Amino acid sequence: MRVELADLVFSQDSFTLRGSGTFDEGVHLVSGPVGSGKSTLALLLAGLLRPERGAVRRHGVLTTQLLLQFPEHHITSPTIAGEAASWGLVPEDALALAELSARADDDPFHLSRGELKRLTLACALLRDPDLLLLDEPFSSLDCTAKRRACRMLEKRDAGITVVFSHERAVLPRVDAIWEMEEGVLAARGSVPDAIPSWQHAPPYLRCALEQGARPMNIRLSDAREALCRIRG
Amino acid sequence: MQDPRLRLFSVTVLSLAAFASTVGAAAAFVWWLLFTPRAKSLPRPGVLLPLVAMVAATALVSSWGGGAGLSYLVRMTVILLLASWAYAETENGEVLAVAVWALGNRVGFEVGLVAELGISGISVLRKEIEQVRMAMALKGIRPGARSIVPLAVTLIVTQIRRADEVARLLVVRGYTIGGKTCPRFRADPLDVPAAIAAVIPALLSTLPLRDVFILVG
Repeated sequence: MRVELADLVFSQDSFTLRGSGTFDEGVHLVSGPVGSGKSTLALLLAGLLRPERGAVRRHGVLTTQLLLQFPEHHITSPTIAGEAASWGLVPEDALALAELSARADDDPFHLSRGELKRLTLACALLRDPDLLLLDEPFSSLDCTAKRRACRMLEKRDAGITVVFSHERAVLPRVDAIWEMEEGVLAARGSVPDAIPSWQHAPPYLRCALEQGARPMNIRLSDAREALCRIRG
Repeated sequence: MQDPRLRLFSVTVLSLAAFASTVGAAAAFVWWLLFTPRAKSLPRPGVLLPLVAMVAATALVSSWGGGAGLSYLVRMTVILLLASWAYAETENGEVLAVAVWALGNRVGFEVGLVAELGISGISVLRKEIEQVRMAMALKGIRPGARSIVPLAVTLIVTQIRRADEVARLLVVRGYTIGGKTCPRFRADPLDVPAAIAAVIPALLSTLPLRDVFILVG
């Protein structure tokens, strides 16, 4: 199972996105500043936008799910339980995963954006698609919720997961790193080899690298472990 | 047309002419052909066609009821063309500048600010519709009668929340009433002739042309 970008070019007004590479099974992080083209790339990978040139080729991918950046756009039902059901899920399962079981009959618009994010993330994960695309899944979440979201992502043991995020504090364990810079997608490679060349690496990773440590992954705990190893 | 004052005058006069009679609408359409970039000023078909379809549906209902459905379709379509042109040509801050020029820094600023927020809301609304449509497509919900209610609910709620956020931001920044701005306007040599020509459809729409032709006959 893989998704291949073949000399992809997409233009909209004065913005142009370019990218090539292959997303294999595992968790991929596409990092980059706000406005660099991450959301546009997510829409292209989901097949919701057509490239001007080149192609997005899916090999062995039967189901795709994209989680949009703003969770209120996903709402189509007047109750939270109905919203979970509209994703084709058993509402109790989704609400339990999102820790919203007590609010099944509430209006989804009465949830905070963070709670709504938890709900849509839980629904997207429970659908377990071959290709899961998450556009800024950590925005609007507090640190505890971000860590929970990371653990939920790490439990996904099959398929391709692509996380598009500018988050630089709480990150999940990933298999590969990509970067978007002014519309150009650059593959940094597999983790941990890709970490030293990662331009948007979070400060704790930079600090660990500067001290000579070699973290095995990109989480804060990985940086801590690497520092402990070199300090004995 | 570069001068926003003349553009606002022209679009107002032409819209009234088009609304008043079919003759006025036909004359306003000729004006649109002569003085605007025509098709270049139109929004993409995905935006324009649903609006025309809504007008056509209303016209059809009117015809069934014995009303002037065809005339309504022609008049409202011309008004849509004029509105599309005026929206495409309007740049940020122009409506505020015209309102302050016309009504002063107190009332004019208030009116202009409300108008600017309303116009900026149109582009936000367009993006929101695209996002909600995409989200529905991801759930396998096809565009149709069943998708209209959730789409409308999401748009209304997000627009009310946006208006509330903007209002709070204005208060936080110390806005109370009125403001100061020194509007400056650019003009194109064709602006004045186009604005004068815009009066012709208005005159034609008020003349009892049928009576004139009967007299001539």
